[in-house]
Amino acid sequence: MQLFWLSVGFGCVTASVLAIAAVGLSLQFGITNYVNFAYGDFMALGGFFAYVLNNQVFHLDIWIALVIGSLAMGVFAVIVNRLILGPFARRFSSSHYVLIVTFGLSLIMLNASYSIWGAQVRFFNMPIAPALHLGPLLFTRNQLIVIAIAVGLMLAVHTMLKATRLGKSMRAMSDNTTLAMTSGIDTKRITTITWFLSGTLAGVAGTVLGISEGNLTPASGELFLFVIFAAVILGGVGSIYGAIAGALLIGLATEISAAFINPAYKLDIAFVALILTLLIRPSGLIARPGTT
Amino acid sequence: MVYYIFTLVFFCFDYFILAMGLNIEYGETGILNFAYIGFVAIGAYFTGVFSLHSAANSGQHYILGLGLPFPINLLLGGIATMAFALIVALITLRRLRTDYLAIVLISLSLVLYDFCNNFVSIFNGADGLYNVPEPYAKAFGLTVNSFIPFFACVTALISLLMWFVMSRVTRAPMGRTFRAIRDDQVVAAALGKNVFRMQLKSMLIGSFYAGIGGGLLIQFGGSFNPTAWLPGETFVIFAVLIVGGAGNNIGMFVGALLVETLLIHLPAFLPEIPGHPGLIEYFDNAVVGIVLMLMLWFRPQGVVPAGIRRAATFGVVERDHDSSLPTSTEMPLLSSGVGNE
Repeated sequence: MQLFWLSVGFGCVTASVLAIAAVGLSLQFGITNYVNFAYGDFMALGGFFAYVLNNQVFHLDIWIALVIGSLAMGVFAVIVNRLILGPFARRFSSSHYVLIVTFGLSLIMLNASYSIWGAQVRFFNMPIAPALHLGPLLFTRNQLIVIAIAVGLMLAVHTMLKATRLGKSMRAMSDNTTLAMTSGIDTKRITTITWFLSGTLAGVAGTVLGISEGNLTPASGELFLFVIFAAVILGGVGSIYGAIAGALLIGLATEISAAFINPAYKLDIAFVALILTLLIRPSGLIARPGTT
Repeated sequence: MVYYIFTLVFFCFDYFILAMGLNIEYGETGILNFAYIGFVAIGAYFTGVFSLHSAANSGQHYILGLGLPFPINLLLGGIATMAFALIVALITLRRLRTDYLAIVLISLSLVLYDFCNNFVSIFNGADGLYNVPEPYAKAFGLTVNSFIPFFACVTALISLLMWFVMSRVTRAPMGRTFRAIRDDQVVAAALGKNVFRMQLKSMLIGSFYAGIGGGLLIQFGGSFNPTAWLPGETFVIFAVLIVGGAGNNIGMFVGALLVETLLIHLPAFLPEIPGHPGLIEYFDNAVVGIVLMLMLWFRPQGVVPAGIRRAATFGVVERDHDSSLPTSTEMPLLSSGVGNE
């Protein structure tokens, strides 16, 4: 039983990381209507930005490094959209080309990170805190901060989408881009802001992934990417709330199953969930209406 | 040096086969198969276990171990890949649109890699298979050195045979239906074509090619290592396809020649930068991505563009202005055959 509660604790942390990443991916997918296969590498690069600030240049505290690194990642995402993905998406009406380009971008970013930082495993420089008991659950201080960051970000995204003009425009654009454009929404500006948010969330997710797993390599994001996909598809593609729900379910499912079967297969559990979703309810838990 | 050239010849022809398989899936039918390397790996694994002898005292873990002779194990490997593709296609093709399909397939590719690495009792874990017998090496008394030219020639013959079959398939009514589905699924369905069935057929043919290509790879190298099947490898085959020109079988050979020699094997001759092991390799992989993006932007139709397969002229002869396009006289078509939309 103790093992079960331990794994629930881990599940909460994984779900937090997953939720941040899944919301970032979903935001961008909803607006631009193509999947970014380089998202895992965005995460890893964001983690490395924080690593550089934390370990190599200014020796900042890890949480400050996280904020600055993630904002830098947001700017990076905007630049990538302006220079590469945006032009391709405008030029070719078929989404095949953009998908292949994001796949290529992933390869370029992965190998660029490898050439800069090498393949060895990196660690963040952060204080080791004693474990805290929360009812039957057991957390370290860093894990609690990760969960707090995730909850805070989810609330922030929710408030932004529901209460601000920007969020309203984003929801309008994700429902119907042409209609949004004719209603006077500056779609180009919204796209840029979305990429910034998506990149920032990827940076946060990559860094907290590094914190919760305890290590960071350029390939960290690659395998994690498809766990995000599983969460996003389980929740319903393009739906922010679906992504959060999917992240919770997948995060808990992978970690709790790892307590009972060989932990090496916890990724396969996510994949099984993905396949079952596709077979039983391909639109996901929370289906987004009006998309074909 | 001679052996090195023959190694290069082998890889060119092998990637020719692989690219033809991907071409019928993506270039002809429009199925964005990002898990292609996974199918290649399945083909390689099964070809390996069909040719290896029983696993009992080899110190490895694998299933079957039938010890079959060369062309039979290769064929069975291709068929095993088709069986795997059938399962995948039945789950994924029926109701998913292109980008969902791409997500599921890339996930599949990652999971296959993860699964092979961890599941020791079937896939021998991260060690992979080794000591796969070299075909005919004993019968013809081939040494390690003479095996390479021999097997390169065998691969060349097989690839030419497969090219012949593929050019028949793409010219047949089935090939035209594939292109119609690629250009517009709804129109094809409205004309009475069963889109799912046709996509399934296309995927099965493509997977057979993947299996054969993978089988030749394991027979050539004699070993199977899961790290060679990382999802990024799919991208090299996509590079061959895009550089050569999607929707065009001859282009696949040109693409394989260019990508394999210039991008994959030539950089191995560059001097290693001191203090940075593997840096050249990383640059090289990044360059493959950059080349592909530049290709897509500046010449999306590839080096050898797919010819516009014109409809029967019914007495009205149209001049083909672009002499670089291969002229073909074909039956009426639902769609043009140009690769770039």
